[in-house]
Amino acid sequence: MKKIHIIGLVMIAVAIGFIITLASDYSQYETFSSAEGETKKDFHIVGTLVKEKDQYYDPITNPNYFTFYLQDKNGDQCKVVFNGTKPQDFDRSEQIVLTGKMSGSDFQASHILMKCPSKYKIDELEVTEYKSNS
Amino acid sequence: MVENFEGEHLLFGQLGQLSVYTAFVFALIAAIAFFISSFSNNELNQKLWRRAGYVAFFIQGAAILSIVVNLYIIIHSHYFEYYYAWQHSSKALPMNYLLSCFWEGQEGSFLLWMFWTSVLGIVLIFTLKEFQAGVLSVFAVVQGFLSSMLLGTYIFGYKVGSTPFALLRHEMGNAPIFQRADYLSFIQDGNGLNPLLQNYWMVIHPPILFLGFASTLVPFSFALSGLMNRKFTFWTKPVMPWALFSAAILGTGIMMGGAWAYEALTFGGYWAWDPVENASLVPWLTLIAGVHTALVFNKTGRSLRMTYVFFLLTFILILYSTFLTRSGILGDTSVHAFTDLGMSGQLVFYMAGLSIPAIILLLVYWRRIPSIKKEENLLSREFWIFIGSLIFLLSSLHIAFNTSLPVWNKVFGTNLAVPSDAVMFYNKVQLWAGVFIALLSASALYLKFKSSNAMQFRNRILLLLGITIPLTAVIAIAGKFDLVSNIILLFAAIFGVIANLYYFFIVLSGNWKLSGAAVAHLGFALTLIGILISSAKKETISFNSAGVNFGKEFSEAAQRANMLLYKNVPVKMDKYTVTYVGDSVSEPNYYYKVNYEVFDSATGQIKDRFTLFPNAQINPKMGLIANPDTRHYLTKDLYTHVTSVPDKTKQQASAQEEFKPYFLTKGDTIFTNNSYVILEDIARITTSKKVEIQPGDLIVGADLLVKTLEGQSFSAQPLFHIQGNRANLIDDKLSELGLTFRLNKIIPEENKIELHVAQTEPEPDFIVMTAIVFPYINVLWLGIIITILGFVISMVRTLQNRRSAQQITAKRPVAERVTL
Repeated sequence: MKKIHIIGLVMIAVAIGFIITLASDYSQYETFSSAEGETKKDFHIVGTLVKEKDQYYDPITNPNYFTFYLQDKNGDQCKVVFNGTKPQDFDRSEQIVLTGKMSGSDFQASHILMKCPSKYKIDELEVTEYKSNS
Repeated sequence: MVENFEGEHLLFGQLGQLSVYTAFVFALIAAIAFFISSFSNNELNQKLWRRAGYVAFFIQGAAILSIVVNLYIIIHSHYFEYYYAWQHSSKALPMNYLLSCFWEGQEGSFLLWMFWTSVLGIVLIFTLKEFQAGVLSVFAVVQGFLSSMLLGTYIFGYKVGSTPFALLRHEMGNAPIFQRADYLSFIQDGNGLNPLLQNYWMVIHPPILFLGFASTLVPFSFALSGLMNRKFTFWTKPVMPWALFSAAILGTGIMMGGAWAYEALTFGGYWAWDPVENASLVPWLTLIAGVHTALVFNKTGRSLRMTYVFFLLTFILILYSTFLTRSGILGDTSVHAFTDLGMSGQLVFYMAGLSIPAIILLLVYWRRIPSIKKEENLLSREFWIFIGSLIFLLSSLHIAFNTSLPVWNKVFGTNLAVPSDAVMFYNKVQLWAGVFIALLSASALYLKFKSSNAMQFRNRILLLLGITIPLTAVIAIAGKFDLVSNIILLFAAIFGVIANLYYFFIVLSGNWKLSGAAVAHLGFALTLIGILISSAKKETISFNSAGVNFGKEFSEAAQRANMLLYKNVPVKMDKYTVTYVGDSVSEPNYYYKVNYEVFDSATGQIKDRFTLFPNAQINPKMGLIANPDTRHYLTKDLYTHVTSVPDKTKQQASAQEEFKPYFLTKGDTIFTNNSYVILEDIARITTSKKVEIQPGDLIVGADLLVKTLEGQSFSAQPLFHIQGNRANLIDDKLSELGLTFRLNKIIPEENKIELHVAQTEPEPDFIVMTAIVFPYINVLWLGIIITILGFVISMVRTLQNRRSAQQITAKRPVAERVTL
């Protein structure tokens, strides 16, 4: 057997190894209902903030504890616990992508990615008005 | 409909747009001329068409310069009738950030790319002695593609490109304001530069990165023209300095991105395996592989096919990375916010337009590309370089595949994502690439091309292992490394350092000229050590003692990432005694002053004392944008940033209701719950930071001295601002004391003022902060700089070799020289 063939086989083996290890690592975009009962694996959940329901963040008691409710794409709502600070622009978010796992009936988020209506997504003009001195 | 608008400066836009068309058309003309020249058999025709190509290329270069100048005039003069200026700049921006505005937008960054491509093309015209036409034909075609990104015109109903010279009233034509001829007088300021980008990295990083992008086109053009013109081997030597230049510049660009993330953003590190970072790393890896296989071909005549694959792939990957970051497809996965300008279709089209011909040509000529049938010697440098290049390929495929998950999801309808701990996910595979590359890059230098002396090789490697193994053991024990994979990486990296140092000093006797490879490999090994120690041993020290314990299921790290600091209350954090002492405002930034003190445990003496100013922009439109501040030591960095601050706007709202009036003359005193206030002076004011003063305005300020019962002094100055027949009241607020002062009225007849004072319960002032120690992170930066230095040394060396080779050819009779 030529060396090039051996190298080829090793490469294929490594590539298969990659795929096997990767396949079990990938996280899936889910909804709360499909994630329910699964507490071992990480999920991505895309949804919106439920503005009517209470948020809790009191940095004086604990700066690393923040809870809120998220509504997923199916319309299901779930309480989310995040061990971190409340992101400052949180209330203005249009869409939230959470990563984390279910923990009982709560969703334990390890990562929050928000989409805010950016200042730079232009939809309005800023107009200043100048009055004359007369 | 209004026909003539007042105050517009349309000339610059028209000149600019004309230049855009010129650049596009002449890039294509240049491409066609060079193409014909490269395929012509007649020497005269070759020469004529090549000349024509030069002229066309120079014209497009001048046109690009004209686009740059016109766009810069528009931004610099604040001509907000242009959408680009209005969207990306504002009057308050200092000069250097106006440059940033220039390339903040997609159009501007393409322009920057094209600018560099032009510069490099002109350098090629003046330096490349042979086979110019073929190389430049590819170069000019790509330049045409890039130019079309700025066209902004409809071709067959499809919008091609997006022009930076679009007018605001065209882009936002529906707004009623544009029904007025004098609309411009209402648009006083632009939208401004994204505050995240208002730092010096944004001034220097994009030019370097885009020079890196542009420079990868040179190896691509060499390779593709080699295939097209069936001159399969001519280019592998002249390409070397270019490929090394590209590796150095693109490497610098990527490093600057990491340094920017570390210094100015709050990723909590220098590399987060973010898709945007990955997208520029992957082509760099294939480029490095290409540099190595090209070297092998030049020395031994092997690996030419792989060289083609790598150099062609590199530029295609650059286009692909542009597609990923510009198409908005990364949406859910990246913190870098990019929106689609509707150009993703165009990018896919160009990607296909370049890669399909490249693949077809490669397949058609695969068997005709020279190669050596006989197998490599196992103890030869070329064999192990080849293995190394395959590892680079696997490593880049792994990153590219996972970064492209959003693309796969879109194509195959799946919904996969990289796990939440992306860093772990990538590290655990890429670590092994690092191990193999470190080992190979160290030991391959001890092998010679073609065949080596086995005895000598074995003895040297044994000697190196004899130094490396004990050293690794000492560092692993001292640094408490426990993961086997980390210890293996540590071993490989230390082996790399020792072997390359030994090679440089003993084998090369310190000869700089020949040292490029050893220096670059040494830098790589040091980089690995820096990455390993700073990330494996990184420690979050902002432990929150006030926190409630939520049980074991939450990791310790999650609970202690953020720490609450009350104002003026010292808190012990690791060995530091940390005190938040107050904030100061320098628009648009709030600086939070945090004092650090280290006491000697035995004597109680202060050993070290410093102040950090992590800052945040509290932007009404974007919320809190934190900027870290870092204390640099030689052996470690202390990195801090603010993650939360009390919402002061809410306090202001509640304070507004309970104003009490007081009538005061100069020298009077009033008492509040916690302080007394003296009216020191009433004076007219001509300059103020709080208000913009127009000619004819009258501003009166009341200078107040506030003394607390504890003896602290504060000053406040509410203002009374008369503008025309209107009066503005500008309050002053001392949030520490919960006091708001308003100068409500001036009574000149009685020499009195009416001062309104509101008092609320002073809210506790605090910040929530994260602090991370990165040990030995300087080794990482040093390593990258040494790697890049290695590329530069090699580049200079190959340039010198080329020059001396050309001098030899020049001496030969003219008829023998290969001309095109």
